[in-house]
Amino acid sequence: MKKFLAMTTAAIVALSGAASADKLADIKEAGKLVVGVKQDYAPWGYLDSDGNLVGLEIDLAKDAAARLGVEVELVPVVASNRMEFLQQGQIDLIIATMGDNDKRRKVVGMIEPNYYAGGANVIAPAGTLNEWADLDGQKVCAVQGAYYNKPAAQGYNAEIAAFAGVPEATAALQNGACVAFLYDNTWIESQLSSNPQWDGYEMPMETENPSVWAIAVPLEDLDAPFGETMREIVADWHKSGFLIARNMANGIANSPFLVEQHNAQQ
Amino acid sequence: MYLPLKLPQNPEQRPGYMPVLLPMKSHAAPVGVGTMVQSFLSTKMGLFVLAAFLISLGAASYAQAASGAQLGTIALLWKWTPLLAKGFGFNVLISILSMAIGTVLGVCLGILQVSPNGIIRRVAWLVTQFFRNSPWLVLLFYCILLIPFEIEVFGTTIPFPGWLKAVIGLSLPVMAYMSEYMRGAIQSLPSGQWESADSLGFSRGQTMRMVILPQTVKRLLPPWMNLYAVLTMATPLVSIVGVDEIMSFARAALASENRVDLLIPMYLYVLCWFFIYCFPISGLTRRLENRFAVKS
Repeated sequence: MKKFLAMTTAAIVALSGAASADKLADIKEAGKLVVGVKQDYAPWGYLDSDGNLVGLEIDLAKDAAARLGVEVELVPVVASNRMEFLQQGQIDLIIATMGDNDKRRKVVGMIEPNYYAGGANVIAPAGTLNEWADLDGQKVCAVQGAYYNKPAAQGYNAEIAAFAGVPEATAALQNGACVAFLYDNTWIESQLSSNPQWDGYEMPMETENPSVWAIAVPLEDLDAPFGETMREIVADWHKSGFLIARNMANGIANSPFLVEQHNAQQ
Repeated sequence: MYLPLKLPQNPEQRPGYMPVLLPMKSHAAPVGVGTMVQSFLSTKMGLFVLAAFLISLGAASYAQAASGAQLGTIALLWKWTPLLAKGFGFNVLISILSMAIGTVLGVCLGILQVSPNGIIRRVAWLVTQFFRNSPWLVLLFYCILLIPFEIEVFGTTIPFPGWLKAVIGLSLPVMAYMSEYMRGAIQSLPSGQWESADSLGFSRGQTMRMVILPQTVKRLLPPWMNLYAVLTMATPLVSIVGVDEIMSFARAALASENRVDLLIPMYLYVLCWFFIYCFPISGLTRRLENRFAVKS
């Protein structure tokens, strides 16, 4: 089914001739950069109550457009449609908490250097868990489609209960339906430091399965002027300290990855 | 012989003219939609459900106030209400457009299903059965992924946004259901209607237009309204395919607040929006069904 859909999508893309010779020129001519962002992943990309998209990745999208000298247009995406939207040409760029891996590199053009990094950890009531092995045979809440669900189930014999989203999974954790919530360590850290509903909870493990996040352009533009320009922009975000500053301004816990990248670029 | 009939001026020019007594028009007072909505909102059932909702909300926010100094649940729901209302408006828009497209196509398809031509009849039957027996979500996925996001016609590019694809995706099952309702309504009319029209010299097309179709309207109206209520309640499906409606805004609000205790009240609140919109429709349908019921 998935394969069939991918094939038909590819066929349609080929038919509509969306692939253009120079994407960068097209964007400048259109005067706008269309960026796919998350709207349900606070504080990276989320909605305020006026319906405006805000967050770290929205800051990045706006800055990228400003550097290209064009307007920004934000399109909310979810994990299951972001790469299709990029292939179809509906968006020019993905900045949507997307992990960088070999499988995805065959579909979209991942921009290096990576702009963010996360890993897997759990949030659990303080004092109940000490190490990953403690998850053996225990029920662990998680979010559907997270890449580290499988290693936790196979490596530590955890019984994964996967929910549709973070609100459902965290509610299940607080109701005692599971011993811990398996999720990105960056999210857990920023929640523990800022949200009073997690008083009495902790992040007890060493972060595992580290994964880097990448901004993506259409595959054919990776080595074209558009991809080159995006590479320069991301490198400058690290070098100038822009990413560290925006990370802090959005209330996200300090990221060792950003500091490391910042120092490496000097 | 003296005929006590007041004939039109050029009766011979009317197709299928025969000096017969026309059926009497019914003079039942029309029922205003506004008054019916009011009467059904004020029924005991509706009040009971609303009261249950408000009590559960009140209890939740009381527990909140007792436990901490954070913003209460009701205040949070109120804060997000403008955005949710905007989303719900989109649900209503999608449901109305899908219903309109689905109804027009469905009526045509239903008439084709009783065509004297065997091939047309079978093709119409097949199309109807295919879309009637497909899950709505799968049809939506196909429409979202297979229809391109813009179409080029004579050099101009026409954008084809996601919500429009969702409208098409939802109108397909509506079309199939309408087609079946239509076929059922036509076939449920006594064959005497066809025979007498035939004896009066009506052609098949005339019989359909002037005799059969007008009589199907009252048979179609209750199931049609039921279908609309069901369709409206199915519109949150489009949130899965990335269209911004009330459910995706509710999810975004939950993600943005990161408040575990908000989950149940938020979904209850969304439910309430749909209930207030759909309950009067189902009440109205019930009343129409009673009015049109065949007395035995």
